[in-house]
Amino acid sequence: MGKDRLLPIFALLILLIGSVSSIYVYATQATTNTLLVNGQHYTMDQLFSLAQPRSFNESQYSGIALDDLMLKTGVVHPEQHTYTLKGADGYEKTVTWENMKNGLLMKDKESIFSDLPKAFRVKNIITIEVK
Amino acid sequence: MKNMKFIAGIIVFGSLWGFAECIIGSLLRDANLPAGALMTGIFAIGLMTLSRTTFRQPGMQAGIGLVAGALRLFNPFGGCFICSAIAIMAEGLLFDLIWTGFSLNLKKTQTLTIQASLGICLAYLVYVGGYIVTQILTPVFSSAGFYLENLIVFIPQILASGLLAALIGVVTVPVVFTLKKFDITIRDRVYYPVTMGVSALCWVIVITNTILIVWL
Repeated sequence: MGKDRLLPIFALLILLIGSVSSIYVYATQATTNTLLVNGQHYTMDQLFSLAQPRSFNESQYSGIALDDLMLKTGVVHPEQHTYTLKGADGYEKTVTWENMKNGLLMKDKESIFSDLPKAFRVKNIITIEVK
Repeated sequence: MKNMKFIAGIIVFGSLWGFAECIIGSLLRDANLPAGALMTGIFAIGLMTLSRTTFRQPGMQAGIGLVAGALRLFNPFGGCFICSAIAIMAEGLLFDLIWTGFSLNLKKTQTLTIQASLGICLAYLVYVGGYIVTQILTPVFSSAGFYLENLIVFIPQILASGLLAALIGVVTVPVVFTLKKFDITIRDRVYYPVTMGVSALCWVIVITNTILIVWL
Protein backbone atom coordinates (compact mmCIF):
# COMPACT_ATOMS: atom_id res chain seq x y z
CA MET A 1 0.00 0.00 0.00
CA GLY A 2 1.40 3.43 -1.00
CA LYS A 3 2.04 6.29 1.37
CA ASP A 4 -0.80 8.24 -0.27
CA ARG A 5 -3.25 5.70 1.12
CA LEU A 6 -1.49 5.06 4.42
CA LEU A 7 -1.44 8.70 5.47
CA PRO A 8 -5.28 9.18 5.66
CA ILE A 9 -5.61 5.85 7.51
CA PHE A 10 -2.92 6.93 9.95
CA ALA A 11 -4.67 10.30 10.41
CA LEU A 12 -7.99 8.60 11.15
CA LEU A 13 -6.28 6.34 13.66
CA ILE A 14 -4.79 9.39 15.39
CA LEU A 15 -8.22 11.07 15.58
CA LEU A 16 -9.63 7.87 17.04
CA ILE A 17 -6.88 7.68 19.69
CA GLY A 18 -7.39 11.35 20.60
CA SER A 19 -11.19 10.96 20.83
CA VAL A 20 -11.12 7.75 22.89
CA SER A 21 -8.54 9.28 25.25
CA SER A 22 -10.74 12.38 25.68
CA ILE A 23 -13.75 10.22 26.56
CA TYR A 24 -11.64 8.20 29.00
CA VAL A 25 -10.27 11.35 30.67
CA TYR A 26 -13.78 12.81 30.99
CA ALA A 27 -15.19 9.57 32.41
CA THR A 28 -12.43 9.08 34.98
CA GLN A 29 -12.25 12.70 36.18
CA ALA A 30 -12.40 12.61 39.98
CA THR A 31 -14.49 15.10 41.96
CA THR A 32 -14.13 15.36 45.72
CA ASN A 33 -14.35 18.03 48.37
CA THR A 34 -11.71 16.44 50.57
CA LEU A 35 -8.00 15.82 50.23
CA LEU A 36 -6.48 12.44 51.02
CA VAL A 37 -3.22 13.23 52.83
CA ASN A 38 -1.07 10.38 54.14
CA GLY A 39 -4.07 8.03 54.03
CA GLN A 40 -6.56 10.32 55.82
CA HIS A 41 -9.28 12.56 54.40
CA TYR A 42 -9.22 16.28 55.30
CA THR A 43 -11.20 19.28 54.18
CA MET A 44 -9.21 22.31 53.02
CA ASP A 45 -10.31 24.24 56.11
CA GLN A 46 -8.95 21.46 58.34
CA LEU A 47 -5.62 21.44 56.49
CA PHE A 48 -5.34 25.24 56.68
CA SER A 49 -5.95 25.15 60.42
CA LEU A 50 -3.34 22.40 60.86
CA ALA A 51 -0.27 23.71 59.05
CA GLN A 52 1.76 26.92 59.13
CA PRO A 53 1.20 29.54 56.44
CA ARG A 54 3.84 30.11 53.74
CA SER A 55 4.11 32.55 50.87
CA PHE A 56 6.40 33.17 47.89
CA ASN A 57 7.11 36.06 45.52
CA GLU A 58 6.05 38.85 47.91
CA SER A 59 2.82 37.01 48.78
CA GLN A 60 1.89 36.44 45.12
CA TYR A 61 1.51 32.79 46.07
CA SER A 62 0.30 32.01 49.57
CA GLY A 63 -1.00 28.92 51.31
CA ILE A 64 0.24 26.38 53.83
CA ALA A 65 3.72 24.87 54.11
CA LEU A 66 3.77 21.38 52.60
CA ASP A 67 6.57 20.14 54.87
CA ASP A 68 4.72 21.28 58.00
CA LEU A 69 1.52 19.71 56.67
CA MET A 70 3.25 16.36 56.34
CA LEU A 71 4.61 16.54 59.89
CA LYS A 72 1.18 17.55 61.28
CA THR A 73 -0.50 14.67 59.47
CA GLY A 74 1.76 12.15 61.16
CA VAL A 75 4.65 11.51 58.78
CA VAL A 76 7.69 10.27 60.70
CA HIS A 77 11.23 10.36 59.30
CA PRO A 78 10.00 12.62 56.50
CA GLU A 79 13.38 12.77 54.76
CA GLN A 80 13.16 9.01 54.11
CA HIS A 81 10.02 9.34 51.96
CA THR A 82 9.00 10.72 48.61
CA TYR A 83 5.67 12.53 48.16
CA THR A 84 3.31 12.10 45.21
CA LEU A 85 0.83 14.90 44.59
CA LYS A 86 -2.11 13.77 42.43
CA GLY A 87 -4.55 16.08 40.67
CA ALA A 88 -8.19 15.36 39.83
CA ASP A 89 -7.26 15.15 36.14
CA GLY A 90 -4.75 12.36 36.81
CA TYR A 91 -1.68 14.62 36.63
CA GLU A 92 0.80 13.69 39.33
CA LYS A 93 4.30 14.64 40.37
CA THR A 94 6.61 13.01 42.89
CA VAL A 95 8.92 15.24 44.94
CA THR A 96 11.50 14.85 47.69
CA TRP A 97 11.42 16.14 51.27
CA GLU A 98 13.82 18.93 50.28
CA ASN A 99 11.28 20.05 47.67
CA MET A 100 8.45 19.87 50.23
CA LYS A 101 10.42 22.30 52.41
CA ASN A 102 10.11 24.79 49.54
CA GLY A 103 6.51 23.96 48.68
CA LEU A 104 3.11 25.29 49.56
CA LEU A 105 -0.49 24.24 49.06
CA MET A 106 -2.78 27.06 47.99
CA LYS A 107 -6.45 27.43 48.91
CA ASP A 108 -7.46 26.41 45.37
CA LYS A 109 -5.66 23.05 45.95
CA GLU A 110 -2.69 23.91 43.72
CA SER A 111 0.91 23.15 44.71
CA ILE A 112 3.73 25.64 44.17
CA PHE A 113 7.41 24.88 44.69
CA SER A 114 9.93 27.71 44.77
CA ASP A 115 12.76 25.34 43.76
CA LEU A 116 10.97 23.45 40.98
CA PRO A 117 9.69 24.33 37.48
CA LYS A 118 6.05 25.08 36.69
CA ALA A 119 5.52 21.47 35.64
CA PHE A 120 5.40 20.67 39.37
CA ARG A 121 2.36 22.85 39.89
CA VAL A 122 -0.31 20.20 40.34
CA LYS A 123 -3.79 21.71 40.08
CA ASN A 124 -6.86 20.58 41.99
CA ILE A 125 -4.91 18.14 44.19
CA ILE A 126 -6.98 15.25 45.53
CA THR A 127 -4.22 13.10 47.09
CA ILE A 128 -0.83 13.58 48.71
CA GLU A 129 0.66 10.13 48.97
CA VAL A 130 3.63 9.35 51.20
CA LYS A 131 5.85 6.62 49.75
CA MET B 1 25.68 30.85 -0.96
CA LYS B 2 22.90 28.26 -0.80
CA ASN B 3 24.17 27.23 2.63
CA MET B 4 24.00 30.82 3.86
CA LYS B 5 20.41 31.10 2.62
CA PHE B 6 19.57 27.90 4.49
CA ILE B 7 21.08 29.20 7.75
CA ALA B 8 19.36 32.57 7.34
CA GLY B 9 16.10 30.65 6.80
CA ILE B 10 16.61 28.68 10.03
CA ILE B 11 17.24 31.91 11.96
CA VAL B 12 14.25 33.81 10.57
CA PHE B 13 11.74 30.96 10.93
CA GLY B 14 13.08 30.10 14.41
CA SER B 15 12.89 33.74 15.48
CA LEU B 16 9.31 34.09 14.22
CA TRP B 17 8.25 30.92 16.05
CA GLY B 18 10.06 31.95 19.25
CA PHE B 19 8.52 35.42 19.04
CA ALA B 20 5.05 33.92 18.63
CA GLU B 21 5.60 31.59 21.60
CA CYS B 22 6.86 34.39 23.86
CA ILE B 23 4.38 37.12 23.00
CA ILE B 24 1.23 35.48 21.58
CA GLY B 25 1.65 32.27 23.64
CA SER B 26 1.88 34.28 26.88
CA LEU B 27 -1.26 36.24 25.96
CA LEU B 28 -3.15 33.01 25.24
CA ARG B 29 -2.02 31.52 28.57
CA ASP B 30 -3.12 34.66 30.42
CA ALA B 31 -6.53 34.31 28.75
CA ASN B 32 -6.71 30.69 29.99
CA LEU B 33 -6.84 29.35 26.45
CA PRO B 34 -5.18 26.04 25.46
CA ALA B 35 -1.99 27.83 24.43
CA GLY B 36 0.09 24.71 23.86
CA ALA B 37 -2.22 23.14 21.29
CA LEU B 38 -2.96 26.49 19.60
CA MET B 39 0.71 27.45 19.32
CA THR B 40 1.73 24.02 18.00
CA GLY B 41 -1.23 23.65 15.64
CA ILE B 42 -0.97 27.12 14.12
CA PHE B 43 2.52 28.60 14.49
CA ALA B 44 4.81 25.59 14.89
CA ILE B 45 3.18 23.45 12.20
CA GLY B 46 2.53 26.45 9.92
CA LEU B 47 6.06 27.85 10.03
CA MET B 48 7.76 24.45 9.86
CA THR B 49 5.59 23.27 6.95
CA LEU B 50 6.31 26.52 5.10
CA SER B 51 10.05 26.20 5.69
CA ARG B 52 10.10 22.50 4.73
CA THR B 53 8.14 23.00 1.51
CA THR B 54 10.30 26.02 0.62
CA PHE B 55 13.80 24.72 1.36
CA ARG B 56 13.07 20.95 1.11
CA GLN B 57 16.06 20.18 3.35
CA PRO B 58 16.02 17.69 6.24
CA GLY B 59 17.50 19.01 9.46
CA MET B 60 16.17 22.53 8.98
CA GLN B 61 13.22 22.18 11.38
CA ALA B 62 15.45 20.81 14.16
CA GLY B 63 17.52 23.99 13.74
CA ILE B 64 14.40 26.17 13.73
CA GLY B 65 13.31 24.50 17.00
CA LEU B 66 16.70 25.24 18.56
CA VAL B 67 16.50 28.94 17.60
CA ALA B 68 12.88 29.25 18.80
CA GLY B 69 13.68 27.40 22.05
CA ALA B 70 16.68 29.67 22.65
CA LEU B 71 14.46 32.72 22.20
CA ARG B 72 11.95 31.25 24.65
CA LEU B 73 14.75 31.05 27.23
CA PHE B 74 15.17 34.82 26.94
CA ASN B 75 11.54 35.35 27.91
CA PRO B 76 11.24 33.37 31.11
CA PHE B 77 8.50 35.39 32.74
CA GLY B 78 5.59 34.34 30.58
CA GLY B 79 5.57 30.87 32.07
CA CYS B 80 7.88 27.98 32.78
CA PHE B 81 10.78 28.73 30.47
CA ILE B 82 12.61 25.43 30.87
CA CYS B 83 9.52 23.35 30.04
CA SER B 84 8.58 25.58 27.09
CA ALA B 85 12.09 25.72 25.65
CA ILE B 86 12.49 21.93 25.89
CA ALA B 87 9.06 21.40 24.29
CA ILE B 88 9.85 23.76 21.39
CA MET B 89 13.23 22.15 20.67
CA ALA B 90 11.68 18.67 20.84
CA GLU B 91 8.84 19.72 18.52
CA GLY B 92 11.30 20.96 15.90
CA LEU B 93 13.24 17.71 15.98
CA LEU B 94 10.08 15.59 15.90
CA PHE B 95 8.65 17.51 12.93
CA ASP B 96 11.89 16.91 11.06
CA LEU B 97 11.88 13.18 11.82
CA ILE B 98 8.17 12.70 11.05
CA TRP B 99 8.27 14.62 7.74
CA THR B 100 11.40 12.73 6.69
CA GLY B 101 9.64 9.49 7.70
CA PHE B 102 6.67 10.27 5.45
CA SER B 103 9.10 11.41 2.70
CA LEU B 104 6.45 13.04 0.52
CA ASN B 105 7.26 13.88 -3.05
CA LEU B 106 6.89 17.66 -2.92
CA LYS B 107 7.29 18.04 -6.67
CA LYS B 108 3.97 16.26 -7.03
CA THR B 109 0.76 18.19 -6.24
CA GLN B 110 -0.73 16.80 -3.03
CA THR B 111 -4.48 16.26 -2.81
CA LEU B 112 -6.46 18.06 -0.11
CA THR B 113 -6.97 14.70 1.67
CA ILE B 114 -3.22 14.13 1.85
CA GLN B 115 -2.61 17.70 3.03
CA ALA B 116 -5.27 17.42 5.75
CA SER B 117 -4.03 13.98 6.81
CA LEU B 118 -0.49 15.29 6.97
CA GLY B 119 -1.73 18.17 9.13
CA ILE B 120 -3.42 15.79 11.57
CA CYS B 121 -0.41 13.47 11.82
CA LEU B 122 2.17 16.24 12.14
CA ALA B 123 0.26 18.40 14.62
CA TYR B 124 -0.77 15.48 16.85
CA LEU B 125 2.55 13.63 16.89
CA VAL B 126 4.61 16.81 17.29
CA TYR B 127 2.39 18.08 20.13
CA VAL B 128 2.11 14.75 21.98
CA GLY B 129 5.79 13.94 21.43
CA GLY B 130 6.88 17.38 22.65
CA TYR B 131 4.60 17.04 25.70
CA ILE B 132 6.05 13.64 26.63
CA VAL B 133 9.66 14.79 26.12
CA THR B 134 8.97 17.79 28.39
CA GLN B 135 7.39 15.60 31.06
CA ILE B 136 10.56 13.48 31.08
CA LEU B 137 13.27 16.13 30.73
CA THR B 138 11.86 18.85 33.01
CA PRO B 139 11.96 16.62 36.14
CA VAL B 140 15.35 15.24 35.06
CA PHE B 141 16.79 18.78 35.04
CA SER B 142 15.14 19.62 38.39
CA SER B 143 16.02 18.49 41.91
CA ALA B 144 12.92 16.28 42.19
CA GLY B 145 13.97 13.70 39.60
CA PHE B 146 11.93 11.76 37.06
CA TYR B 147 9.45 9.06 38.08
CA LEU B 148 8.11 6.89 35.26
CA GLU B 149 4.80 6.20 37.06
CA ASN B 150 4.05 9.95 37.07
CA LEU B 151 4.24 9.91 33.27
CA ILE B 152 2.38 6.63 32.69
CA VAL B 153 -0.74 7.67 34.65
CA PHE B 154 -0.88 10.94 32.71
CA ILE B 155 -0.55 9.40 29.22
CA PRO B 156 -4.36 9.38 28.55
CA GLN B 157 -4.52 13.14 29.30
CA ILE B 158 -1.57 13.83 26.99
CA LEU B 159 -3.14 11.77 24.19
CA ALA B 160 -6.45 13.58 24.70
CA SER B 161 -4.89 17.06 24.72
CA GLY B 162 -3.30 16.44 21.31
CA LEU B 163 -6.73 16.19 19.67
CA LEU B 164 -7.16 19.97 19.50
CA ALA B 165 -3.72 20.38 17.90
CA ALA B 166 -4.63 17.69 15.34
CA LEU B 167 -7.90 19.45 14.45
CA ILE B 168 -6.03 22.74 13.97
CA GLY B 169 -3.44 20.94 11.84
CA VAL B 170 -6.24 19.89 9.45
CA VAL B 171 -6.56 23.56 8.49
CA THR B 172 -2.96 24.80 8.91
CA VAL B 173 -1.16 22.47 6.49
CA PRO B 174 -3.64 22.91 3.56
CA VAL B 175 -3.49 26.70 4.13
CA VAL B 176 0.32 26.62 3.85
CA PHE B 177 0.15 24.49 0.68
CA THR B 178 -2.37 26.99 -0.76
CA LEU B 179 -0.11 29.94 0.13
CA LYS B 180 2.76 28.18 -1.62
CA LYS B 181 0.80 28.37 -4.89
CA PHE B 182 1.38 32.13 -4.84
CA ASP B 183 4.93 31.98 -6.05
CA ILE B 184 6.49 34.68 -3.87
CA THR B 185 10.23 34.85 -4.32
CA ILE B 186 12.56 37.30 -2.65
CA ARG B 187 15.53 38.46 -4.68
CA ASP B 188 18.98 37.64 -3.27
CA ARG B 189 19.74 41.34 -2.93
CA VAL B 190 16.97 41.83 -0.37
CA TYR B 191 16.82 38.28 1.04
CA TYR B 192 19.52 38.74 3.68
CA PRO B 193 18.51 42.23 4.86
CA VAL B 194 14.86 41.09 5.15
CA THR B 195 15.57 37.80 6.99
CA MET B 196 18.14 39.34 9.33
CA GLY B 197 15.97 42.39 9.92
CA VAL B 198 12.89 40.32 10.79
CA SER B 199 14.97 38.03 13.05
CA ALA B 200 16.60 40.96 14.85
CA LEU B 201 13.21 42.62 15.34
CA CYS B 202 11.78 39.44 16.93
CA TRP B 203 14.72 39.15 19.35
CA VAL B 204 14.65 42.86 20.25
CA ILE B 205 10.91 42.78 21.01
CA VAL B 206 11.20 39.62 23.16
CA ILE B 207 14.23 40.89 25.11
CA THR B 208 12.64 44.34 25.59
CA ASN B 209 9.45 42.65 26.78
CA THR B 210 11.47 40.64 29.32
CA ILE B 211 13.29 43.75 30.59
CA LEU B 212 10.00 45.65 30.93
CA ILE B 213 8.41 42.78 32.88
CA VAL B 214 11.40 42.67 35.27
CA TRP B 215 11.44 46.44 35.84
CA LEU B 216 7.73 47.17 36.06
